[in-house]
Amino acid sequence: VPVSVSCGLVRDKRGKIIGVLAVARDVSERKRAEEEIKRLNVDLQRRAAELSTANQELEAFAYSVSHDLRAPLRSIGGFSQAVLKRYASQLDAQGQNYLQRVCAASQRMAELIEDLLTLSRVTRAELRRGPVDLSALVAAVAAELRQGQPERQVEVVIADGLVTTGDARLLQAVLENLLGNAWKFTSKSDPARIEFGHTIVDGQPTYFVRDNGVGFDMGYADKLFGPFQRLHSADEFEGTGIGLATVQRIIRRHGGRVWAEGEVDQGATFYFTL
Amino acid sequence: MQNDDVYILLVEDNEDDAELARLALEETGISTPVVLATDGVEALDYLFATGAHADRDASVMPRVVLLDINLPKVNGFQVLQRLRGDAATELLPVVMLTSSDEQHDVQASYRSGANSYVRKPMDFSQFVETVRQLGAYWLLLNVPAT
Repeated sequence: VPVSVSCGLVRDKRGKIIGVLAVARDVSERKRAEEEIKRLNVDLQRRAAELSTANQELEAFAYSVSHDLRAPLRSIGGFSQAVLKRYASQLDAQGQNYLQRVCAASQRMAELIEDLLTLSRVTRAELRRGPVDLSALVAAVAAELRQGQPERQVEVVIADGLVTTGDARLLQAVLENLLGNAWKFTSKSDPARIEFGHTIVDGQPTYFVRDNGVGFDMGYADKLFGPFQRLHSADEFEGTGIGLATVQRIIRRHGGRVWAEGEVDQGATFYFTL
Repeated sequence: MQNDDVYILLVEDNEDDAELARLALEETGISTPVVLATDGVEALDYLFATGAHADRDASVMPRVVLLDINLPKVNGFQVLQRLRGDAATELLPVVMLTSSDEQHDVQASYRSGANSYVRKPMDFSQFVETVRQLGAYWLLLNVPAT
């Protein structure tokens, strides 16, 4: 039987030692509990390691599938484009139309694959933390968007001097996605307005991208960040539905969280903490 | 000015990709002949005039080698390392032409001595444009070592 022994000296009024007191306790129960905790810890560590391996395998699988899909897709797209270009005269209008659909579908699949690869890369990439000037990044992304569609009039308001710590390359991807969305979903708003700013939510410093675009139904708010989730048809607004999943992964890897608020036809605001 | 000795060596195991490259060259109007090697061993045999290509005149080198990475038998990096390790081919311009945009592939290519790294675009029109630019640079602008 495992015992714990405590000893003490017994003295009389003058401080003279007159005896020794020893108490022995049966600690088999405590011992057993300790053993159990040790065993659970080992078990937990093993499970965490297994989970991490499974995760890595899944990521590697997603990556290699996406990567290997490229070669046959390049053939489908390439040869159908070549037929359209060289042999169009031998096809009637319907034949040409069908082939054009093949081309368009393969182009769309190519975009999906590229986005999936980006998502997979974001998860695997090592986080390189450093100071990041978010205001400057937003300005650069906005300038690029303007360059892509110089005919659009969009008021972009950027709060000055918002500097944080994080992986600059990944945070740029976050802002490209959030601003790209805001840009896209304000295409029918007049005047279109996009704002990047900073606020405090639940005591946490929080950044936001706000637009006055088509917004969304809050009933779908939890679906926004799932891969391939889209709230609009491809005819209405283009996109693969992987952008916000990428944003969420990057933000989570930074230890932050991202969420959205919106209302149909009343714009949307995407918040994130880091 | 077209020189009779000028040709491109394309090392590509995927038949479709090789045909698309040929099509793309036709689209650009580049008439430089293309020699195709379908794996790393064949590429090395061709360049060093050994094996099945033992009767080739080894002194006539391609103006540029377009080299894929994922090749059967001997991969693109290994081909490149062999080329850089031999006096006859150490200065031969080699462009990696691959679908990979993984940083470790890009870095390994340059470490192995690649002169350039170009991604095969998914879209055929973009691929034609890539081939046009490659041709303009490596066949016209670039001065090879002789």
